[in-house]
Amino acid sequence: MDPKQRNYLLLALCVLLVIGSWVLFMPPDTKITQALDIRGGLSVILKAVPSAGQSANSITSADMDKAQLIINNRVNKLGASETSVQREGSDSLLVQIPGIKNATEALKIINTTGKLEFVDMSTLPSATVDAINTWEGSGAARSSAPSIPETVTYTPVLGGEVIKTANAGQSSGGTSAGQITVNLTMNSKGQQAWANYTRTHVNKQVAIVLDRVVQSAPVIQEPILTGDTQISGNFTVDEANYLATVLQTGSLPVKLEPVDTREVGATLGQDSLRQGVVAALIGMLIVAIYLIVFYRGMGVISVLGLGIFASLFLGLLAGLSQFGVFALSLPGVAGVVLTIGLAADSSILINERFREEIGFGKTVRSAAASGTRHAIITSADADIVTFVSALALFAIAVGPVKGFALTLMLGIACDLVMMLLFSRPLIMLLGETLIAKSPALWGIPPEAIAARATTGKKGGASHA
Amino acid sequence: MHKFNVNFMGNRNIMFIVSAVLIVVAIGALAVRGLKFGVEFEGGTVVNVSKSGSVTQAQMSQAFKKAGLANVQVQQSTVRGVRGYIVRSSETSAAIANTAAAKASSEVGLPSDGFQVTTIGPEWGKNITSSSLVALAVSILAILLYVSIRFEYKMSVTAIVALVHDILITLGLYALVGWEVSPNVVAALLAILGYSLYDTIVVFHRMKENSAGLVKQSFMSMANESVNQVLMRSINTSLTSLIPVVVLLIFGGVTLKDYALALVIGLASGAYSSIGVAAPIFAIWKETEPKYKALAKKYANAS
Repeated sequence: MDPKQRNYLLLALCVLLVIGSWVLFMPPDTKITQALDIRGGLSVILKAVPSAGQSANSITSADMDKAQLIINNRVNKLGASETSVQREGSDSLLVQIPGIKNATEALKIINTTGKLEFVDMSTLPSATVDAINTWEGSGAARSSAPSIPETVTYTPVLGGEVIKTANAGQSSGGTSAGQITVNLTMNSKGQQAWANYTRTHVNKQVAIVLDRVVQSAPVIQEPILTGDTQISGNFTVDEANYLATVLQTGSLPVKLEPVDTREVGATLGQDSLRQGVVAALIGMLIVAIYLIVFYRGMGVISVLGLGIFASLFLGLLAGLSQFGVFALSLPGVAGVVLTIGLAADSSILINERFREEIGFGKTVRSAAASGTRHAIITSADADIVTFVSALALFAIAVGPVKGFALTLMLGIACDLVMMLLFSRPLIMLLGETLIAKSPALWGIPPEAIAARATTGKKGGASHA
Repeated sequence: MHKFNVNFMGNRNIMFIVSAVLIVVAIGALAVRGLKFGVEFEGGTVVNVSKSGSVTQAQMSQAFKKAGLANVQVQQSTVRGVRGYIVRSSETSAAIANTAAAKASSEVGLPSDGFQVTTIGPEWGKNITSSSLVALAVSILAILLYVSIRFEYKMSVTAIVALVHDILITLGLYALVGWEVSPNVVAALLAILGYSLYDTIVVFHRMKENSAGLVKQSFMSMANESVNQVLMRSINTSLTSLIPVVVLLIFGGVTLKDYALALVIGLASGAYSSIGVAAPIFAIWKETEPKYKALAKKYANAS
């Protein structure tokens, strides 16, 4: 394929990408996901710390999975939409609750210690027992679960730490075959205590209590000597899974502590975004004027390049948002603003090199080809170095600054695409025609052309 | 039209003295005044109040103290004429801090959705500090490696010298003025490392090109020509990079200002150090090589 055809092809590809980007990101306020610091809400990083007596490196990935499940359950209880609980690093969870009204209440629920106990109902005051039985009788809805008042003191039969596993399952055999059950196994200490207790308490009720909130109140059917316990009731699959998760909280060897809590008011976040967007637009406008005044026609190409860069960038952000892997945060906005300078720089490198090569006595046509090539190589080297710092920041840093590193890296990628698919092909195509005809219009000093004519190094004739 | 012929290399001692003075002042400021770290590094609570209406600083402080926050410090922050406050406290419990912020906002009669409450636990700060330092070290090593492979190790060492120069001066300024260092500032500094190297690399790129088959002049005068050749680009790039971040500094709210300030200082210092520090040190070092030593002797009077 000859260079001319290739350049037309590259430009066509660029136009397609820009159209695709616009389809992806219009309108940007709904197509680009906003992070919590912009849309407002509560964001908490919970760090797992080993409970007393456990060594620091005892936190396993399985523990974190369990912790994530538990926190997810708690957060779901809040009834907010689009909540998320993600793993962050090896020992932390990032909890995000957008648009929350009552952050104090949410924090309390997230921060509950997760203390699971088996309580002998006969040791509880009758008012509490009545409340539990009424609740059980009316379908035991999770949202209306009764709690044991703070004023009541009691000694639990067992603590949740004795539970080894808890799963939802189906019972087999007997009249209850096929019923959904929750099955749990216990460690040897638990087996012993549970056997002693159940032997003497058949047909008595035991309340399973998490942080003083009653989760279930089964009746002991028979002595359980091995610790393998089956809780049956009219569970749905969801209810059984939930109870199994609750039972596992006891065996969680870690405590979760909020280490980074950010509550952002919705109007504050939107104000900050508006400030960032205004700054980006004004910055781009001034840069555009500067480029056109300084480089004239070549400046117009640079400004078009900036527009294409911005389109590709927004398209990429919207595309990543659609896959749920990107959310624009305020640090991200700062990254976007910095990349405007980066994109302008690649154009400046190209323009300067192009002028300079003509000054050296090259024809406009050959300067267009070799000037853009040299400038892109320089610019790519410099881009890679910035990319390396951003990558280090993204991989190692914790918290919100990751958003800054990410947009910076994406911006660099868009900058390279812009140079290869737009700036170089367009300048090479124009170099053969328009720029050579009226160089002054394109910011090429006439004396540069004159210098070429007199020295005639590479021969103006070859360009005829 | 845009040709320059500034004798940078000939006046390199002046630039060295300027840099040396700046660095001595920076180190002095760091040693005497020290850096003021944000709550993210030390644990505590920051409440940003964006629109405070007619509430005074004293009322704000009173309300937060009454709501139960310890060691309350209130600072005014005005964004585009709209007055707001930044309230700092040593409180590390998120639940207490949030309850207090809600109480204080109703006390002074402000809506609760114009607040940002950030609470950082005491241990987490260490985590952030160490991860920032590791990121810095890894990024310097990676850049060193890349430049050594792509160009040569003398370039990578001088580039790092310029970089340390930039970091010291920026941090020194933060210490001198008493600006707070937040993780955002650290992130911006890390990014600026890459960006200031960007400038240095453009200069080195030109030196590498021009030094191929160098016989007619000394390395030093070739280096000076190279710097002049890319000077227009350096000025334009620095301006077009500075414009958006300066606008961000003027229009941005609290978080964005954090980034913008560090970026502005870093960009300015980076632009200067590629010409004033990296290029002359590299040229001096190259002239110790036998090949260029001979050239320097031959053209001793030319440069």
